[in-house]
Amino acid sequence: MTDLVIEARNVYKTYRTKKPKNEEACVEAKHLVEAVKNVSLQIRKGDIKLIFGPSGSGKSTFLRCMAMLDRPDKGDIYLGDECLTKPGVDLNKARARIGFVFQHIYLFRHLTALGNVELALRQVLKLPKEEARKRALDALTEVKVTDCINKYPSQMSGGQAQRVGIARAIARNPDIILLDEPTSALDPELTGEVIDTLRDLAKEGTTMLIVSHEMPFAREVAEEMIFYDEGTIVETGPPSLFFNAPNTDRAKKFMTRIINRTTREEMNV
Amino acid sequence: MDAWQQFIILLEGVPLTLSISIISFIVGLAIGLPLAFIRIYEKDVGFVVDAYEKIFRGVPEIVLMLMIYFGLGPFFPIPFNNAFFVAAFVLGLRSGANQSQIYRGAIHGVGNEQMIAGQSIGLPKWNAAWHIMIPQVITYSTPGLGSEYALLIKDSAYAAVIGGLHEIMTQALQLKSIPPGDVITPFVLGAILYVALTFPIAFWLDRWGNKRKKKMGL
Repeated sequence: MTDLVIEARNVYKTYRTKKPKNEEACVEAKHLVEAVKNVSLQIRKGDIKLIFGPSGSGKSTFLRCMAMLDRPDKGDIYLGDECLTKPGVDLNKARARIGFVFQHIYLFRHLTALGNVELALRQVLKLPKEEARKRALDALTEVKVTDCINKYPSQMSGGQAQRVGIARAIARNPDIILLDEPTSALDPELTGEVIDTLRDLAKEGTTMLIVSHEMPFAREVAEEMIFYDEGTIVETGPPSLFFNAPNTDRAKKFMTRIINRTTREEMNV
Repeated sequence: MDAWQQFIILLEGVPLTLSISIISFIVGLAIGLPLAFIRIYEKDVGFVVDAYEKIFRGVPEIVLMLMIYFGLGPFFPIPFNNAFFVAAFVLGLRSGANQSQIYRGAIHGVGNEQMIAGQSIGLPKWNAAWHIMIPQVITYSTPGLGSEYALLIKDSAYAAVIGGLHEIMTQALQLKSIPPGDVITPFVLGAILYVALTFPIAFWLDRWGNKRKKKMGL
């Protein structure tokens, strides 16, 4: 018996920045980016883990692989006991059990907040109309956007839109929520409201894997922080490790830079 | 026969001109929309779509109509001996090729991220296309669709070559053949009618599309 929710085993993923002619030439010319190099990670029920690291290091690609929105070139993804990378697996069913929150939100532009949250409940879970509406409203209440239920994404602020994005991800009670830099595309004064929402989810024991550089938030909610650079996990440990003395030089340098930046921002406010 | 009487006779052709253009537009939509998605999301068979577009954009409608009506009609009287069917069918095939290109551009405009977001909530690809992409794609396409519909109204005049269909141009040709043979008035009046039919629809489509686009922030 295991309480493993999702697991990545030796996941490897490359992507091309230019049209391929042949593989080796691409690697040499750096047109083939190794975004994820044999990364393994286990998430158990109730875990809150946070991935951070320089931009362009492959964090987002890794997260997309875990949700099978990108297919890994090599390695396996397990959702519970089910291997998602085997051929013939119903990925749609699997994705219904994984909530995903995007950096750039990607709400459905032609639907209201309610419509955005309802869609999966109606079309994926096939709930009857009233029940879907009730659960969608519950989710929207939970993220505190009841005032924009009937608004379209273009009529919301970035913070409201991202909270609707979170509601869309949690409404169907997924096993885990993957969040890809949920606050980094928002204006600084709007990140607070999204962070508050995430804090609420954390309190309820939601299983989450978050890519984020919100360090105060990380320190508060994350049980484990994962420093990711150049396609691999460089160092893993509790927040106290990273905030005091990371073992690796790369993590040390990165922490210094990011903490300086955070303090600078706080002084400016 | 004075111009007013001629105009009344031309007006009698309007219902047929409209029904040919509306039906061929719907046929074109039913062909073009799936083709555009296949071209983008099923790359393995994309070449079939390419071939289809090349053929039906390349061969003149008038040639296709003559080929099908006079070539296939005698051998397969149902449905090819029916002038209305042949006209709407041929224009629909051509419009399918045009609309496929319009929708393809629109799919790129709407963006693949919407599709990914749809899949992220557990929707199968074709379901996401239906519930998420198509409503936005149609909105995005309205300017192109307006001019495509205008083309269909105009091209319905080709139906005059297969005869027996009393749309505007066939009516005009008949007026011309009535002695003493007024060759100017019927065509000038016909031209005015075509403009009157195409302009409002393109205008209305554009306005509707702009309103929806604003709402979506597209």
